[in-house]
Amino acid sequence: MGLAIQGAPLPERIVELLPFGSGPLGTAIAALVGAAIVGTLMMTMTAVAGPWAKRKVTAAFTDRYAVNRLGPFGLFIIVADAVRLLSKELIVPDGVDRPAWDLAPVVLAASALLGFAVIPMGSGIHLADPEVGLVYVFAIASIASVGLVMAGYASNNKFSLLGGLRAVAQNLAYEIPLVLIAVSVVLFTGSLQMSEIVAAQAEPLVTLGAVSIPAWYAFVNPFAFVLFLIANLMEVGRNPFDIPEAPTEIVAGYQTEYSSVYFVLIYLGEFLHIFLGGAVIATLFLGGPAGPGPESIGLVWFLVKIWAVYLFTQWARSALPRLRIDQLIEVGWKGMLVLALANLVLTAVIVGVIA
Amino acid sequence: MSLEEPDPRSRDVGETPEGTVDYDALEALLGETALDREEHVNATAFVVRPDEVQEALNALRDEAGFDYLSNVTAQEYADRYESIYHLKKYDDPTQEVGVVVPTVTDAPVSQTAEPVYRTADWHEREAYDLVGIEYDGHPDMRRILLPETWQGHPLGSDYNPEKPQVVPFREHANPLQPDSRGEGAESDTMFLNIGPHHPATHGVLHVKTVLDGEQIADVEPDIGYLHRCEEQMCQQSTYRHQIMPYPDRWDYVSAGILNEWAYARAAEDLADIDVPEYAQVIRTMSAELCRICSHMLALGTFALDVFGDFTAVFQYAFRDREVVQNILEELTGQRLMFNYLRLGGVAWDIPEPREDFFEMVRDFLDGLPEKTTEYHNLITSNEIFQVRCVDTGELPPETAKQYGATGPVARGSGVDIDLRRDDPYGYYEELDWDVVTEDGCDNYSRVLVRMREVEESAKIIEQCVDLLAEWPEDEREIQSNVPRTLKPDADAEVYRGVEAAKGELGIYMRSDGTDTPARFKIRSPCFCNLHTLREMTEGEYVPDLIASLGSLDIVLGEVDR
Repeated sequence: MGLAIQGAPLPERIVELLPFGSGPLGTAIAALVGAAIVGTLMMTMTAVAGPWAKRKVTAAFTDRYAVNRLGPFGLFIIVADAVRLLSKELIVPDGVDRPAWDLAPVVLAASALLGFAVIPMGSGIHLADPEVGLVYVFAIASIASVGLVMAGYASNNKFSLLGGLRAVAQNLAYEIPLVLIAVSVVLFTGSLQMSEIVAAQAEPLVTLGAVSIPAWYAFVNPFAFVLFLIANLMEVGRNPFDIPEAPTEIVAGYQTEYSSVYFVLIYLGEFLHIFLGGAVIATLFLGGPAGPGPESIGLVWFLVKIWAVYLFTQWARSALPRLRIDQLIEVGWKGMLVLALANLVLTAVIVGVIA
Repeated sequence: MSLEEPDPRSRDVGETPEGTVDYDALEALLGETALDREEHVNATAFVVRPDEVQEALNALRDEAGFDYLSNVTAQEYADRYESIYHLKKYDDPTQEVGVVVPTVTDAPVSQTAEPVYRTADWHEREAYDLVGIEYDGHPDMRRILLPETWQGHPLGSDYNPEKPQVVPFREHANPLQPDSRGEGAESDTMFLNIGPHHPATHGVLHVKTVLDGEQIADVEPDIGYLHRCEEQMCQQSTYRHQIMPYPDRWDYVSAGILNEWAYARAAEDLADIDVPEYAQVIRTMSAELCRICSHMLALGTFALDVFGDFTAVFQYAFRDREVVQNILEELTGQRLMFNYLRLGGVAWDIPEPREDFFEMVRDFLDGLPEKTTEYHNLITSNEIFQVRCVDTGELPPETAKQYGATGPVARGSGVDIDLRRDDPYGYYEELDWDVVTEDGCDNYSRVLVRMREVEESAKIIEQCVDLLAEWPEDEREIQSNVPRTLKPDADAEVYRGVEAAKGELGIYMRSDGTDTPARFKIRSPCFCNLHTLREMTEGEYVPDLIASLGSLDIVLGEVDR
């Protein structure tokens, strides 16, 4: 019974708490409240990650201190940065393609935020659990590419245009391997439903005395895990794959012309995408919210896992050179795709033999 | 480790068995082209008619082996204009010869040297821009440093510096063509202004780029945004004291003492000043410290160009450079604009207590191998870095010579030239070190050359420190006796180069008997090295253009002067 409540999507439980009944109106309000909770949680994490954690982590890698003047560990820089960024002038360059240029940052941020709807975060925080949850995440996350092209094309700037085109090329190169690797996980679970995928990883893989290693797919199929990590780096556009932005080459790529609030939205979208990538990795390969201790602290474990993925992206960013766009396409189509297919066939054979 | 033919080549015309130049043989080679001979302090020069420049230069290049056009100086006399081509040999830069081309004051026109030496392209454009000599047959006779709309030639005698010249934005915008399709609406190429404000141009450089997709169809560096009239300022300053602070401001990224040495060497040759041996050792040590600083910065910014945002390598390079800067601050009292050399020596001795200073230097040297290993682990052995840098930005040795490339750029193309060894000055001859060359001719080789040169510099510094520590106390002479007002003989001319961090930094000076030079010309290594950019990047991708630009390690302060 406990598990059932734990697994129940968040809005259904909110319905019980709110005085609006379980009619259409009550369900809608509950869904909004649930979305607000998840959204706020993710935005807060982004606020910590963007102005503060990113600086601190990069500084640690590069032998510096970074922000340390405002508040404990410089944490209040988050407030200062928010005020600074939001109070800047929103410069609209001549000749931008207005609706598209304005919409692009919103599309970027929204596509990442929407993805969290189906992620089971533990402690009962799970907005929706459709049967096609995994497909939904990939589909929604890919909409970001549309946003990138809109931003690049509508900016009336050649550096933006190059960045937008690079973003599309990169997207095509990683998206297919990314999905194929995810499919290999689906072969194990036999379900696209996120809660099922998490539940399938709860079984112990091997038990060595008191220590029991769970059947997380990172342990079951480490090869797929590593491939997915790399493909995910491509998706979030961090070194060695930060090609669409490539500050030293094309200034800032698609985001060159954005300032103030739009700039914040674009950055928000980027960080949300990193966290969404972390959430998908945690769900598919790291047992979702699973971890030692009672199930009620599942959220803590889940956050630990996605922050670990975040740290990994920052590490790569500090230490690795950037590939060239043609080299990235080669890596994507000639390397990742082949390996992803091999992984898929191998998994299919193993699953077929066992089952 | 050189790409050049190792076989003992037959001696060039005009080369003696001892490896010096037989000017009589050269005069015979030039025959009637040579109208006259002039004796400059550094070499003999032949006077050539303005319409026979190419004939003379061709003979000197093909028959006499002068394959290196080091510098072109233009100047105006009361009765004539003069272009001087300073020729050297890559195999032996001590073999020099000048070609003096006088032209009339009324509409001076001289034949271009560009077909013989590609590097003359930019040199002659500069001569046209600043002095006003036109070069007949030049492929691109435009101003190079000043805006297209500038009136007059600032180093000419009839130039009025009092006349205000405002270049309005629409004139400045002129070179910044609209980012549009190249060559009309039907074209598939795209014109893109990279710079003057761009994260990777290492200063204010404007690269006019024509792109075919992401590939470079054509690039043209547009320079002059940082032109500060350095030559003119030196011409208005006295030899003895006032010029020395300026060289620090040419290549301002911590290569100061190397630059100062260029002026010191030229001026000391011009006025025949001796430098005490002890001062030479200090000069050698401090110059090599500067070289390490400069190469660290080059490494860090190159990593920035290839890696992306502010990365570990960049910060590590700056962290280690900081140690050297502290040493230099101890020695000179300054961190950037050292003003430490004096004609005939250095400003002051090693700071007391000397042991502490030597320990500081030795601590740095002891830690260096570990850091070098770290850099190699992080950078050169990284596979992605290799994929990015090997075989990109290729500069074949012959092309490098044609463009007058020197320094790590030339040595990364296998051209074995280093003035510290080939044209010795200071204390280098007495010390044990090697010239580094790499055969790759690509961005990777240039990075490797710089990293290995840091190790060689460390070797030199170590030996200098040992020498200085054991130098007898009563023989520590830091300056020779130099007259307070220095007036070299009238009409003495000298062209002298030293191996600065980026290559051959040369100074041409002509004295008119007063205490300020009548003409002061700077041969900037970055200026010549930057000229190779088009050769390196055509057909490559935008990221390779950025990497190649980074591997050239230009400092715009020195390019534009």
